[in-house]
Amino acid sequence: MKHLIVAVTGVMLAAGPAWAQTSGPAGNAENGKKLYAQVGCYQCHGLAGQGARMTGPRVSRTEFPFDGFLYQLRHPANQMPPYEAAVVSDQEAADLYAYLRQMPAPRDPNGIPLLKTER
Amino acid sequence: MAESESAALHRRRFLKGMVVAGGATVVAPAAAQAQAPEKPTGNTSPPTAAARASEREHPPEADRLTTEKTGSDFMVEVCKTLNLDYMAACPGSTFRALQESFINYGQNKRPEWLTCMHEEVSVGMAHGYAKVAGKPMAAMVHGTVGTQHAAMGIYNAFCDRVPIIIFTGNAGALDERRPGVEWVHSVQDAASTVRDFVKWDDYPMSLQHFAESTVRGYTLACAQPPGPVFITADTKLQEEPLDEREQRKLKIPLLVTASQPAGDPNALREAAKMLVAAEAPVIIADRYARSQAAMDNLVRLAELLQAPVIDNRSRMNMPNTHYLCQSERAGGLIAQADCILSLEPVDLYGQLNVMRDQLERTVSPKSKKGVKVICISTRDLLVHSNYQDFQRYVGADINITADAQTTLPSLIEAVQREIASGGKNAIAMRGEKMRESYNGFADRARAEAALAWDATPISSARMYMELWEHLRKEDWALVSDSDFSSNWPHRLWPMEKHYRFIGGSGGYGVGYQPVAALGAALAHRDAGGRVVVSITGDGEFNMAPHTLWTAAHHGIPYLTVIQNNRAYHQEVMHVQRMANRHNRGLRNVPIGTMIDNPNIDYARIAQGYGAVGIGPINDPNDLSEAFRKGIAAVKAGQPALIDVVMQPR
Repeated sequence: MKHLIVAVTGVMLAAGPAWAQTSGPAGNAENGKKLYAQVGCYQCHGLAGQGARMTGPRVSRTEFPFDGFLYQLRHPANQMPPYEAAVVSDQEAADLYAYLRQMPAPRDPNGIPLLKTER
Repeated sequence: MAESESAALHRRRFLKGMVVAGGATVVAPAAAQAQAPEKPTGNTSPPTAAARASEREHPPEADRLTTEKTGSDFMVEVCKTLNLDYMAACPGSTFRALQESFINYGQNKRPEWLTCMHEEVSVGMAHGYAKVAGKPMAAMVHGTVGTQHAAMGIYNAFCDRVPIIIFTGNAGALDERRPGVEWVHSVQDAASTVRDFVKWDDYPMSLQHFAESTVRGYTLACAQPPGPVFITADTKLQEEPLDEREQRKLKIPLLVTASQPAGDPNALREAAKMLVAAEAPVIIADRYARSQAAMDNLVRLAELLQAPVIDNRSRMNMPNTHYLCQSERAGGLIAQADCILSLEPVDLYGQLNVMRDQLERTVSPKSKKGVKVICISTRDLLVHSNYQDFQRYVGADINITADAQTTLPSLIEAVQREIASGGKNAIAMRGEKMRESYNGFADRARAEAALAWDATPISSARMYMELWEHLRKEDWALVSDSDFSSNWPHRLWPMEKHYRFIGGSGGYGVGYQPVAALGAALAHRDAGGRVVVSITGDGEFNMAPHTLWTAAHHGIPYLTVIQNNRAYHQEVMHVQRMANRHNRGLRNVPIGTMIDNPNIDYARIAQGYGAVGIGPINDPNDLSEAFRKGIAAVKAGQPALIDVVMQPR
């Protein structure tokens, strides 16, 4: 079972887009932050959007275009559960997207002493 | 019938009557004799049924209340011929004679009796122990109810192919059972509860039978593929006196270590040709290595072929410090492979295919068409019908039914011969590519670890690296798997020795982790005082928190870190998936899956069981001091627990 989850938990949200950039509705990042917890995004992608190996890729500061992001929500290409409009409206999706886009930039691992440790 | 019964049987019944009736019949033998009716004379009428019954209960010759030696003593002698250091048990009356014999007659040495607080702990402890010690220990479980408690632990061990010698007691003969609870705890067939997931079981009918079945059971448990065996010790056999004449007839078979099954040389020759001819060979190691030598052989084979190794981590198979350990890019390697060598696979189908967990389940292959698959495994030697741990069928191009660890030296020789005959053109070039790929793994892992470095709740990456800063100074062992924490130790810690890691539960039975850690820590203690760490989910830990008492009581030091996400998180995601699928919103998903309100104070639980308890740790900056204290306690011989409030994964 773990192979299934590991192998096909997609990289779509974090990967480069296959779609052309399109503008979606203006998003409210503050509401997106609430939604990120309420609709359970964090369960698989982590509270900081960092992702987790078994469950879902990094989504913080996603470079995915909104159209592609919305398509992934509605019709996930992998193991991600679908979020239809009855659960997350287009506007709410835009809010989530705005929140993900403005998440803090990750720290440089070279600036973290514990991550300088040689293997 | 009463007239034909032997004097010995009279004595047994007398003894039983004394026990069964409790306080009312607990009288001194002299008083019992005084109360016995006079024997009828020839001139009187035949005795009534009541008189006969009275005579059976109080026979004048039945004043033998003790004995110097019993069948259970002989059973201990049998166990002492085996290579058993420990017997773990939660006490139960169906093995009361055996327990007394082990601790007195056997002097509580080899095996030493260990007190557990649940039969699942006894068995799970033996599970973890065997994977470190490389040999089984024994568990004793109460009849019926104790066996039921033990069942999940036995299933985990069966799925994980780990040897355990399990004993139970049972009062088989109905006329030998005390009325009441002993009936409730007796069965026709003691092993039926667990027969689907033990390798072998037996219910010996005599002491000689017990000796042979126990030695046979040990041998079978250790033969590849290994597994738990289940022996029933009848209470009558345990408790009956054993006289010298009878004992002289008994023979304990000699335990002989058997060689393990090796692969057919012809099949290995074909496999070697296929591997050497391949342009993109990949080796997948799963439940493969039981020793450092097996790890070394895998490195040797990989270097000969310059083939990447995907370590599925059911065991410690491949040092992650070696450039050919390429588990980080398993998906890409399998997709490009033209020849896959699979060593003791757990789920080869799942490795080569993917099923989408959506409303309509669809399957697609991960590997390219025409890929050649070579499988070396003992999986076909231990398949039962009911429980489906055997996974979906895969028809390999070359399927070698053999112990992969035993077979690898022969495969290495075959590959060497094949390379010597001219098939090594592409091999050196592959090695360079592997080095390039390998060099990027650590950088990627470090970058990912930095993503939520300062987050609260604490990220799993931060927790593992704060722990590593202290652990790296020690001779350490990690006795928990890391699938639920993004495999950080395998990505960021150097894991180069076989004893560093033991894989997971095998059966995914929740509760394995705390109990297997206890047994693994025991084996590491005996091996020379390694610092043992177990990262345990809060849901897992709550299945058996009392393992810490056993650890404290028996002086088994190890550090438990509670990965406290305050949820049964895997199930949170499952319920969330269903709610999404049904378009019902996610508001109610926490019902039945969260472990909060109130939050559990694991540090106080640990302290209550006699262990060192630290936490909860909410601030990542407090981790280092907590780990310093925890490891110091472990080095001082104590079990310790640190509660870390963490992100879900």
